[in-house]
Amino acid sequence: MAGILDFAPAIVLLPFLSFLIALGAGRYMPKGGALAGIGATAGSFVLSIATFFAVSGGQTYNQTIYTWAEGLDAINLTFGLLIDPLSSMMLVIVTLVALLVHIFSLGYMNDEGETGLPRYYAGLGLFTASMLGFVVADNLLMAFMFFELVGLCSYLLIGFHFRQDGPPSAAKKAFLVTRFGDYFFLIGVVAVFATFGSAAFAGPDAFPVLAEEALAGEHSVNTFLGMGEQAWFTVVGLLVLGGVVGKSAQFPLHTWLPDAMEGPTPVSALIHAATMVAAGVYLVARMYGFYVLTPTTLAIIALIGGFTALFAATMGVVKKEIKQVLAYSTISQYGYMMLGLGAGGYVAATFHLMTHAFFKALLFLGAGSVIIAMHHNENMWDMGGLKDKMPVTYYAFLSGSLALAGIVPFAGFWSKDEVLYETLIHGLGGSPILLAAYAMGLLAVFFTGFYTFRMVFLTFHGEPRSGTARDPHGVRWNVKGPLAVLGVLAATTGLVNMVPVEKLFGIEGIDFLHQFLDGSFSSLNAHHYAELIPYSSGYIGGEAGTVAIGAAVSLGFALGGAALAHVLYNVPEPVEHTDKLGSIKTVLYNNYYQDEYQVWIATGVVQPISRVLDKFDQGIVDGVVNGISSVSLFAGGRVKRVQTGVVSNYAALLTLGLTALLLGLGLLGGWFA
Amino acid sequence: MVPPQYYLLLSAAVFCIGVFGLLTRRNALLFLMSVELMLNAANINLVAFSLYWGNVTGQTFTLFTLALAAAEVAVGIGIILVLYRNFDDVDVTNATTMRW
Repeated sequence: MAGILDFAPAIVLLPFLSFLIALGAGRYMPKGGALAGIGATAGSFVLSIATFFAVSGGQTYNQTIYTWAEGLDAINLTFGLLIDPLSSMMLVIVTLVALLVHIFSLGYMNDEGETGLPRYYAGLGLFTASMLGFVVADNLLMAFMFFELVGLCSYLLIGFHFRQDGPPSAAKKAFLVTRFGDYFFLIGVVAVFATFGSAAFAGPDAFPVLAEEALAGEHSVNTFLGMGEQAWFTVVGLLVLGGVVGKSAQFPLHTWLPDAMEGPTPVSALIHAATMVAAGVYLVARMYGFYVLTPTTLAIIALIGGFTALFAATMGVVKKEIKQVLAYSTISQYGYMMLGLGAGGYVAATFHLMTHAFFKALLFLGAGSVIIAMHHNENMWDMGGLKDKMPVTYYAFLSGSLALAGIVPFAGFWSKDEVLYETLIHGLGGSPILLAAYAMGLLAVFFTGFYTFRMVFLTFHGEPRSGTARDPHGVRWNVKGPLAVLGVLAATTGLVNMVPVEKLFGIEGIDFLHQFLDGSFSSLNAHHYAELIPYSSGYIGGEAGTVAIGAAVSLGFALGGAALAHVLYNVPEPVEHTDKLGSIKTVLYNNYYQDEYQVWIATGVVQPISRVLDKFDQGIVDGVVNGISSVSLFAGGRVKRVQTGVVSNYAALLTLGLTALLLGLGLLGGWFA
Repeated sequence: MVPPQYYLLLSAAVFCIGVFGLLTRRNALLFLMSVELMLNAANINLVAFSLYWGNVTGQTFTLFTLALAAAEVAVGIGIILVLYRNFDDVDVTNATTMRW
């Protein structure tokens, strides 16, 4: 089968090549290696598009590329590529966002005279390559390795301005917090290998398929700790979920993400839209065939997602910096994706992953453009009135904001609504947990609308509130171009999956994404997942009625939030209004004391335990070893005194020894008896 | 024929004289002589048993041992010369540089 899919490895290798070029020769090249990165990501993007169309045509690709550890009668550890609708869609998203971020970086980094550009572009290249490698991974171990690489790259890029105080510490925090989750993921990978003897996502020995057959009683798998298969699968699912919660910044491991705003803004766009944070949700979607088998895990995913969506949205409403608002909105939006996955809305969550990638990349790049204009001041209270001075940025940003808030017909409306709709019908089908998660998700819609438009009004409307806002720095084509592309995408990508319209008006065949994700491997398509979902559906007033009610309610909440923001902040001289919140204000400003309690856990609980363990290690374990050596030393020090150096003494000892030997022999041999 | 226990008594006496000399003397040359005595005590034993059993192997052995003793004396005298050169004396209790 020679086709375009045989070139799929190049999609990953091109950005890696640009990493090597930027690292090795970046300082001799114009633009600090940016052109290599742009060329490589553009190449990857073109190949991804071709791949996407090939997959749409029904082709798939599942090949082991390289076996790096061959097991004797055991498990082979391999690198391989799996191209199916999900990964081909993600390839397009990642390469497109990476390409636009590279171009934008010309304006944000090169034009602003930053130093260390080769390091920056090398980081971007490696970041893109790792994420692409993760996307196409055909087994869980390979996915884990690239997952870790993604984490490493985020560390390098968040800490790009390593001479200042904030970024290195934010980078360390991001690395450690996600590592904490990855620790569970690693155990989960080992558990999958131990249970199924294979970690492949697709093919004859794909572990989701093996798990399904094991639950059907067709053959047995290894379970541990004396658990039944169902319980053990739940444990394995939760272990892997640990990595997801860390990477996708879900409660309680979300604290690294707002701090990660210390990185350069294009990096934030890349982290939040296409790489790093998306990796967690993508992983759940990738092994969804496994998760649908364990209802407990699904319920936990849905609850975490719904809670995170609401929790992060409430923190976003009081933030002063434009990037902080976006950071909390990212956490919140990934909460929606988790909610969708947990509620059995595989397509809905994937859809939201896609639309979010576009509008969040747009918002971050728009924020980057504003930050350039404001001479790197991110405080929204110093902005205002920028809409007349930077119209391209304004309209693009507005498009992204409408999408984020979920206003029809922008992208976010369709995907968020579908997530909520799936949650609602499965909740009505007899799952109170999902109904609770739905309520939280719905409430979060209101806060989303509010903080989004608070951000828009404070930044672009009203009177300028500082000198720089009156006379902003201009931006060039390399900033406006990516914004325009993403602005159009944020407005239109929702149209690929207009499920509400289909259901309401009975127009068949406009849910393109559903059809697309139904294709290819029978164990990996949306249809197969829909059969396995452990939920039943319930409706209020028929399917069309539920769709209409759900969409109307969520749109109403979004508009309500936006309207409140309009009343409070769309005035020439807005004030903070946060005093009306009373004591809640302090709690929100301090992010519910999440950092504080986690630091307390570290210093108040873990540190004493570690100290005791250290005592045990130093005292007992090392003590035994040291004790043995000091006994030997002491004994040696005494015994060595036999060596007097006087030959007569040696002779005497020899004689004595001989005599003793003779006596001993005589006594034992009975000579004297 | 003289009974073998007389030979053995002689041998034991010579050996004990050797041991006594080794333990009480401090002169390296006397050490050497004591060692020769002990060696020859063993030779007497060998010859005596050879005679008793009517087998010449023990006597052949003794010839070899004598040759060996001669060689050993050569080495021993060499050591004593070095001892004298380094410590200006042949008193073995002075040469204690190889202790702990």
